[in-house]
Amino acid sequence: MLELVQQITNGVAIGSVYVLIALGLTTVFGILGIAHFAHGSVSMFGGYLVYVLVAFQGVSLWLAIPVALVVGMGVGALIEFLAYRPVRNANHINAFIIALGLTMMVEGLNLQFFGADQVVIPTGFDRVFEIAGVTIPETRLYVVLAATVLVIAMTAFVEGTKTGQAIRAVAQNRDAAILMGVNVRSIPLIVFAMSTMLGVAAGVMVGSLFAIAPGVGEAMVVKGFAVLILGGLGSIPGAIIGGLVLGVTEALAAGFLSSAYKDVIAFVVMIVVLLFRPQGLLGGAK
Amino acid sequence: MTLTRKNGLLYLAILVGLIVLPSFISVKYYLHLSVLALIWVIVAQGQNLIQGFTGYVSIAQAGFMGIGAYGTALLGLNFGLPVWLTILIAPLITALFALVAGYPSLRVKGHYFAIVTLAFNMVIFIVLLNLTDVTNGEAGLMGIPKPGAGRDGAIDFADRTTYYYLVLIAATGVTALAALIVNSRLGRVLVAIRQNETLVGAAGLAAWKYKLFAFVVSAMFAGFAGALYAHYQSFINPEIFTIAQSMDAVLAVILGGSGTITGPIIGAFAIVFLPEYLRFADSFRLVIYGLILILATIFMPRGIVGLASDALGLLKKRLAR
Repeated sequence: MLELVQQITNGVAIGSVYVLIALGLTTVFGILGIAHFAHGSVSMFGGYLVYVLVAFQGVSLWLAIPVALVVGMGVGALIEFLAYRPVRNANHINAFIIALGLTMMVEGLNLQFFGADQVVIPTGFDRVFEIAGVTIPETRLYVVLAATVLVIAMTAFVEGTKTGQAIRAVAQNRDAAILMGVNVRSIPLIVFAMSTMLGVAAGVMVGSLFAIAPGVGEAMVVKGFAVLILGGLGSIPGAIIGGLVLGVTEALAAGFLSSAYKDVIAFVVMIVVLLFRPQGLLGGAK
Repeated sequence: MTLTRKNGLLYLAILVGLIVLPSFISVKYYLHLSVLALIWVIVAQGQNLIQGFTGYVSIAQAGFMGIGAYGTALLGLNFGLPVWLTILIAPLITALFALVAGYPSLRVKGHYFAIVTLAFNMVIFIVLLNLTDVTNGEAGLMGIPKPGAGRDGAIDFADRTTYYYLVLIAATGVTALAALIVNSRLGRVLVAIRQNETLVGAAGLAAWKYKLFAFVVSAMFAGFAGALYAHYQSFINPEIFTIAQSMDAVLAVILGGSGTITGPIIGAFAIVFLPEYLRFADSFRLVIYGLILILATIFMPRGIVGLASDALGLLKKRLAR
């Protein structure tokens, strides 16, 4: 029983990372209709950046993270402007192939700049809390807290601000939004900046919880999409619940079945959901 | 894309060129690359069916190659079945997997299909890596026999030039089959799905059956290519059946020209030879490769074949004046 609670607790921490990845993907998909496959690799770039700043430049973690988040916003906007904008009106396959090309490029650049070794961001949070027999490492606690704060902040931004309103308007009806005077050229830039910022945050979390290495980004983005399929495409609450469900399922599978095959779980869950609820767990009937 | 006499002449020219190619190659290594390129032609023709004609990007082709390669190798090594038989069984095994994976995956459209197939490739890789009792894990399988009766047989398939012609026959057969499919009513339905899937449904056709057909056939091609690859190299490990190789298949179709028959042939040669010429770039290779993919998608979405036919059209206009 205790083991079960322990695994679920572990799962919530991993799940928080998935939620952040999936939130970035779902905003880009829901609003712009782009399956931004390079998201995971860009997230890992953010994680590497924090690692280099902290481990080699001696920058404090509290400075390195905001710097990486701001750089992430810039990178996101740049990607939208240079890579996706030219194929805005082309077939959706073109945008997806651009995304594949971007993934190769970002993975290649990561390899070039940061090497092929796996790295762990030194956080200095080494304490381990024990609550009613369940051990919770300090880092995991902060990850869950940070993810919660970011999710609330993003929801507040999208729901409560004028820009957020414009974003939702574009998502609902692009033409009507143009007629109402929304600057639709700047919306994709903002969406990509926001989404990449969330991705970088997730990358930092992966780097401090586990490790960053070549290929981790791709695995992350696949899980991110699995979460979207699980929760319903383009749905923010779906991404949150889907992320947590996947995280907990994986932790349980790793703890009770086999850790070698835990990555297969995301796929199995995805296939099962597609078979029985193609619209996702929270998606309405089509 | 009807089979006009001009197209026929073009195909014949390509075929003749490929037949005489080995006599112009003095460096063995280039012959090796040409064999690989022909194997990739088979993969690319399959990829083109699902990606170029039907409009669904599948990123599982390398995984399917893996199933075909391991299928033929394991049948040969464990049960001592004749090589020719296992090469023919391999695509059928692959088709079975594709059927199981394709049925649920094809319920989602566009990008999500790509993601699901990609995840499927990851699963194949993880299983090949971890099912060590059967696949020997990371170390891979060695000593996969060559077809024919080996060096004692009438034809020595261990000889590189001989294997080249074997693969050329296979690639020609597969290309002909692909051409046959796309020029039939079936092919026209596939194109219709790419252009407007809703309309296909409205016309009373069960689009999912056609999509599944294209997907399974594309997987069979890949499985067949994987089998030919396994016997050619005599050695396989999971490393060569990852998403990166699946991306090569996507790239081959885009670069060559999607939705054409000649495109995948040119694209396959491009993706095998291009990295060789990018060797100087070393670890920047991946970056350059990605950049080429992006630039090709933005500036020549119809690929090399599209570019060539545009240039040819322009030239004709000039000459006609």
